[in-house]
Amino acid sequence: MKHLTPINRKAARIAAAANPAPTGDVVALQEQGSGPPQQPEGPHIPLGCSLAFQPGWEADRNGGTAGLCQPVERDLFDCHLGCYWPAHVPDQLNHAPDWTSKCAAAQKDWRKIDLIFP
Amino acid sequence: MCYKGQILGLEPLRMRLSPLATRLDCLLIVGLALVVATPSTVAAQAAAAEAVDAGIPIADATVRQACGRCHAPDDEGRLSRISFRRTTPEGWQQTIRRMVMLNDLTIAPETAREVVRYLANNHGLAPEEAGPAAFEAERRSDDQAYEDADVKQTCTTCHSMGRIVSQRRTAEEWRLVTAMHRGYYPFSDFQAFRRSGESDEPEPVDHAVEHLSQRFPLESPEWSAWSATMRAPRIAGTWALRGHAPGIGAVYGQVTITPTPGTDDEFTTDTSYVYARDGRRVIRTGQSIVYTGFQWRGRSFEGANDTDGLREVMFVDRDWQSMRGRWFTGGYDEIGLDIALERVGTAPVVTGVHPGSIQVGQTVSLQLYGENLAAATAAALDLGPGLEVLRVVNAAPDLVTAEVRVDGDARVGGRDLFLDQTSLADALMVYDTVSRIAVTPDAGMARVGGVRVPKQFQQFEARAYHDGPDGEANTDDDLDLGLVDATWGLEEYAATFGDDDLRYVGDIDGQGRFTPALDGPNVERIGNRNNVGDVWVVATYPAGERTLRARAHLLVTVPNYLRWDPTAVERP
Repeated sequence: MKHLTPINRKAARIAAAANPAPTGDVVALQEQGSGPPQQPEGPHIPLGCSLAFQPGWEADRNGGTAGLCQPVERDLFDCHLGCYWPAHVPDQLNHAPDWTSKCAAAQKDWRKIDLIFP
Repeated sequence: MCYKGQILGLEPLRMRLSPLATRLDCLLIVGLALVVATPSTVAAQAAAAEAVDAGIPIADATVRQACGRCHAPDDEGRLSRISFRRTTPEGWQQTIRRMVMLNDLTIAPETAREVVRYLANNHGLAPEEAGPAAFEAERRSDDQAYEDADVKQTCTTCHSMGRIVSQRRTAEEWRLVTAMHRGYYPFSDFQAFRRSGESDEPEPVDHAVEHLSQRFPLESPEWSAWSATMRAPRIAGTWALRGHAPGIGAVYGQVTITPTPGTDDEFTTDTSYVYARDGRRVIRTGQSIVYTGFQWRGRSFEGANDTDGLREVMFVDRDWQSMRGRWFTGGYDEIGLDIALERVGTAPVVTGVHPGSIQVGQTVSLQLYGENLAAATAAALDLGPGLEVLRVVNAAPDLVTAEVRVDGDARVGGRDLFLDQTSLADALMVYDTVSRIAVTPDAGMARVGGVRVPKQFQQFEARAYHDGPDGEANTDDDLDLGLVDATWGLEEYAATFGDDDLRYVGDIDGQGRFTPALDGPNVERIGNRNNVGDVWVVATYPAGERTLRARAHLLVTVPNYLRWDPTAVERP
């Protein structure tokens, strides 16, 4: 390929695919080897934190945030009502039936979301 | 759904007959239960028999009046549910809150306080029982190791294991509390209590109830012994304070505890302590209640402008000579100090020294903190082999300053301190070189906030270590040389290609405290992501010609909108 020069955009993309630009190391996806640890030893479980769901509320199954439903304000409706997060979001069955009554579109009205202290 | 059937302990039957059960209504299942004796019904009968014998009578008129309207009393003076459970003050408070929120209980705050106090004292935990659950009341971040992984999985799917290990119940009560979960949180069945698919193994919730009934029963030798000897502790007087604020360092000082007139378990406190590393002095005044004869719950304030104060959770030792715990504040109780108090008489007490580690060949000004130290002399101060006390520069009752020289060939290791007839084990470390530094915690967590919800901060700390005689890092002989002033920074923890969390998550200051960015969707991020992400927290520290480096993982994540927060039982 080194004697050939792409002359149109499609050829340029092929050349780019054959010689990808160096990208950053993705340590979170690496296996633990014999070298220095690239990841903390397993997900840390802080007080009250739940990692049981996949993805969890605070952390995904790798202990990071890349796999979380985002933004969380959208997650309140898209995931909460379907998946149910009893430990992190008020249940609208018993504890806070009107919890989201002030924010029909949480991504816009997120400043109206309440904290609930049962 | 047939919750009645579940409460009666018929789930295994229903699951076993599930193809049939889908065609039967609840009445038929209940009817079957009358003629089919399953293991669960046998267990339920055994639990019922136990309940007849067990149970703590409730004599207090206030509690009987406040709770008895729904919790029917029996001939033995017991109230339903309440008499068959013991827990911490926080546990009882949470129950009352739930009664107010979900069961339309109307109760005056002062009555609720009285009820909590009676129940915490008479239906509480013994010191041996409360110890393993202390982290819950102290609001510590914890990795929650637990002896039964299946039970842990069942319970920590939603909440801390501390909620469970701080409870004692009869077998029937453990069953009923799972029924309560099913009623109020129906998804708990699918998320945690049952497994999907057919299996001959007991359902996770049944295993948990069986395990917890054995492990945390209502009646225990510890509680029998403690409740017989329990009394309000006589802890008035002067106490020497030593503590540690992560990232800031050791504190030393004094607490004067004064009984509140007319009570035997309420106290006021006057506290004064100094941060050893920078000399900053803090004066606090506070109030506290001691529950169950040993559970100190208080709040103290630093001056009139301190609106939140520090909540104090401590446990008084059985001999009334010491107590320890955590004082904390913050939107998520994440900022605080570990505190230990030791009763002071007329004898000298040394609580700590600063600096806590000295390099060989150096002469340093060593500060000894404690009480009754005014008579200290160089001759009476013995720091061990290789350390010479040149002179005592100043001796005040709470602080002695001494000039100390460490020989160039002094042996590396810890030194006990003796001053007249008092001592302090491992008071200081002698080292020749700093082998490495480490950042604690090695995995931290912060939450975005500041607009609608509070921020959760994360304090990191860099500590220096000597590798010890074996020269190998992370072995048992390593010497902890204490906190060092590291330079702090953040680096990307690449979890995806093109990961750019570092730009958004927040900042770390010169003392190792990470402040997360604002909550809410960020329109500058792809998909309007929040300012969440994971990064490395990196500490660097110059040691001679080398630059030592250590790092920790930091998860900057989303808020909790439902806060199962056992806040102050009583805000004195």
